[in-house]
Amino acid sequence: MMSSVAFRAVSKTYRGNAALDCFDLVVERESLAVICGPPGSGKSVMFRLLVGLETPDTGSIEIDGHDITGLSPAQRPIGYVPQSFALYPHLRVYDNIAYPLTLARVPKDEIARRVDRAAGILSITHLLNKMPDQLSGGEKQRTALARGLLKEASLFVLDDPLLGLDFKLRERLMDELKSLRQELKATFLYATADSLEALIMAQRLVVIDGGRVVQHEDAIRVYDEPRHLRSLELIGFPRANVLRGVAAGNRISAGPLSFVATDSVRDGAIVVGFRPEAIKAATGRGIEGSCRIRLVENLGDEYVIHVEAGGEMLTMSFAVADGTALPIDSEIPFTIDPRDMLLFDPVDLRRLLPGG
Amino acid sequence: MAEIVVDHITMNYGSLAAVDDVQISFADGEVACLLGPSGCGKTTLMRVIAGLETPSAGRVLFGGRDVTAVPTRRRDIGMVFQYPVVYPTLSVAENISVPLQQDPSLSASARDQRIEEVLDILDMRHLKNAFVDELDAGSRQKISIGRAVARRSDVVLFDEPTTNVEVNAKLQLIRAVKKVAQRTRQTIVYVTHDQTEAMTLADRIALMRDGKITQYDRPDTLYNEPATEFGGWFLGNPGMNFVPAKIVAGAITVPILAEPLPVPSGLPLQAKLTVGIRPGRIGMSAKPGAATVAGRLCEQTVGIAGRYLARVALGEVTVKVKTDERPPAPIGGTVHLTVRRDHLVLFADGNRVVR
Repeated sequence: MMSSVAFRAVSKTYRGNAALDCFDLVVERESLAVICGPPGSGKSVMFRLLVGLETPDTGSIEIDGHDITGLSPAQRPIGYVPQSFALYPHLRVYDNIAYPLTLARVPKDEIARRVDRAAGILSITHLLNKMPDQLSGGEKQRTALARGLLKEASLFVLDDPLLGLDFKLRERLMDELKSLRQELKATFLYATADSLEALIMAQRLVVIDGGRVVQHEDAIRVYDEPRHLRSLELIGFPRANVLRGVAAGNRISAGPLSFVATDSVRDGAIVVGFRPEAIKAATGRGIEGSCRIRLVENLGDEYVIHVEAGGEMLTMSFAVADGTALPIDSEIPFTIDPRDMLLFDPVDLRRLLPGG
Repeated sequence: MAEIVVDHITMNYGSLAAVDDVQISFADGEVACLLGPSGCGKTTLMRVIAGLETPSAGRVLFGGRDVTAVPTRRRDIGMVFQYPVVYPTLSVAENISVPLQQDPSLSASARDQRIEEVLDILDMRHLKNAFVDELDAGSRQKISIGRAVARRSDVVLFDEPTTNVEVNAKLQLIRAVKKVAQRTRQTIVYVTHDQTEAMTLADRIALMRDGKITQYDRPDTLYNEPATEFGGWFLGNPGMNFVPAKIVAGAITVPILAEPLPVPSGLPLQAKLTVGIRPGRIGMSAKPGAATVAGRLCEQTVGIAGRYLARVALGEVTVKVKTDERPPAPIGGTVHLTVRRDHLVLFADGNRVVR
C-alpha cells in the first residue's frame, strides 16, 4: 500500500539531547494512526518536524512519496489542528474558519460550501455569526478544529484535538472524526494523552519512547501484546497495573505478588504489568492474594475497583453483574492468571518474551 | 430529620429560567446527585438550596421548615465548593476544629473525638498535625470536606468538588464523600457533570437538562430505564444506541429486531418512535439463530476493561456493540445480533413509553 507519511532516519537534537534518534516511521495512506508517547518521548518534536515548524538535523520526511523536508509549512500538503488553538478575536466564527481559504484566494462560493460542511460536522453552524469571545471553551475548540479540517489535503495532523472537551462531546466528535476521515479518504495522524481515546480512535497505534518508535501495529494487537512498557501504560482504560519487582531463580516478587515466571527470566530487577481485567475478584488457580477495597466506581456497564494490597494500590475492572456486593473497606480475595503477567526489562522497558 | 423539599422553584436570570419550576425532594440521610451538562441549572439549584440565591418563585423546606427566607448561615448546612476553603496557616486538626468551636454544646473532649472521627473518614489520621499549606490540592479539598461535615449539620452540599484535582486525589475525595455518607448519615446534595461520579456516589440521581429534572431515580434504574433519550445518551460510555422504529401493519418494526413489537396502548399517534438499546445488551454471534438480525461489521476496537467495541451496520442504521468476546467476523463480514425485548426501551418523541 502507498505510504502517506514516511520519516526516514530523522534525527533532531536540542542542546546535545536527541529528541528524535534515527526515527523511522511509515504510515499507510488512508489510515488513522494514533501516536502515543509520554512527555519528552519525541512525539511533539515529530509533529513539529512534520508540519514544518522545525527542521531535522539529518534524515528526510516524505508525503505521498515526495520529499517535503525542505518545504515551508505553507507549502506542505497538510491540514493541521494544533493543541492550543488561537482564534482571531476580531473575526466572526465563519471568517475564522474561512481564513486559510481566504488567504489562498479560494472563490467565495467554494469557501462557503466548505465552511458550511465543516461547521455542520462539528455542530457549530448556529455559531457562525458569533464572535470568539461569545464562545465557550468547547465551541472555540470546535471552531479551531473546523479551520484545520478545511484544507484540501490528504494528510491531517491532529494534536490532542479533543483535550479538555466534555466527555459526551468527545464521544460524538470521535465518531464524527472517524467518518470524516473515511469521507475525505485522508490519512490522520492523531495524538492523544487519553488512554481510552487512543484505543477507540486508532486503527494503527504508534508508540514512541526515547525518540524512537517502540511499537507500531494494529490497535487491538498492541493492546493484546504490548512489546514495551509504554504500550501497556499509555493504552487502555482503566490504566494497567505496573509494579517494580525482583526476580530470583525464576521466582518474581513484586509488591504483594510472588509467583513463578512461566518462562525463564534473568535474576535481578524486573518490571511486572497486568491489565485491570486480568485481576479477578475471586479465589482460584494462579497468583492469589487478598486485598482491601478502597473505592468501587460504577461506570454503568463496568465496575472499576481500586484496592490496596500489601501497601500497593491496584485497579481491577469487570462487567457489571447483578448481585455483586463490593462494600468499601471490605477484604476480598484476588487471583491473577500467571499468563496475564507481562514482564519488562527495567532498563530498556522492552517486554521480556519467551526465547527473547 | 432533614428531608429537603424543593417546592416549585424557579430561578430566572433576565428572560432565562436557569431553574424552571423544579419540584423534588431529597430524602433524609441519602446522597442525591444533581447530574447534567454545563448550563443545565444544577449549580443554580444547589445555590438556591444553600440560600446563596433567592429564587424567583417557589419554596425550600428543610425537615418541613420553610427556609426560603432564612439566610445561608442560619440554614445549618455544610458546603464544599470547587476550590478548597481552608486556613493555610493552621494544622489539619485545627482546620477541622474551627467550625466545631462555634458549637457551645460540644465539650472539649467531644470536640476532640469528633476531630478524630473526621480524620478517620478522610484517611488523614497520619496528617493530623501537618500544616495545610504543606499539602497538595487534593488533601486541602479533603480538609474542606472535613470542615463541612464535622459539625454534623443536617445537610451538606457539594458543588463539583473534584473539578480541580488530579485523578488520584479525585478518587480519594469520592471515597471520603462515600464514607461521610455511610458514617454520618447527613443529607447530601452533590452537584456533578461526571456520570461515573454520580453513579458511584448517589443513592438517587436527578438528571437535569435546560433547568428541569428529566428523571430522578436510583443509578441502575436511571441507567437501564432512562425516561428520556437524553438520559440514555448522557449516561454510558458509549451511550445508548437509538434505532428508528415505525408502525407497520399494527406492529412496531425495528431494524434490530427479527420480530415486530406489539404497539402499547396509549401510544401517541404520529409520534416519532425510536428504540434504545445499550451497546452491552446486544449479543453478537457468527451464526444466525432463531431471533437474530444480520448486520455488517464495520469497525472493531477495544474499549473499557479490554472489552470489545464493534460497530455494526443494519441497513441504514449503525449500532455499537460491546462484548467480552472478540467479534466473530472480519471487518466487512456478516455478524448476527440478538437483543432481549426487556432490554429495549421504546421512546415516543424522546420520552420513554411503558410497554
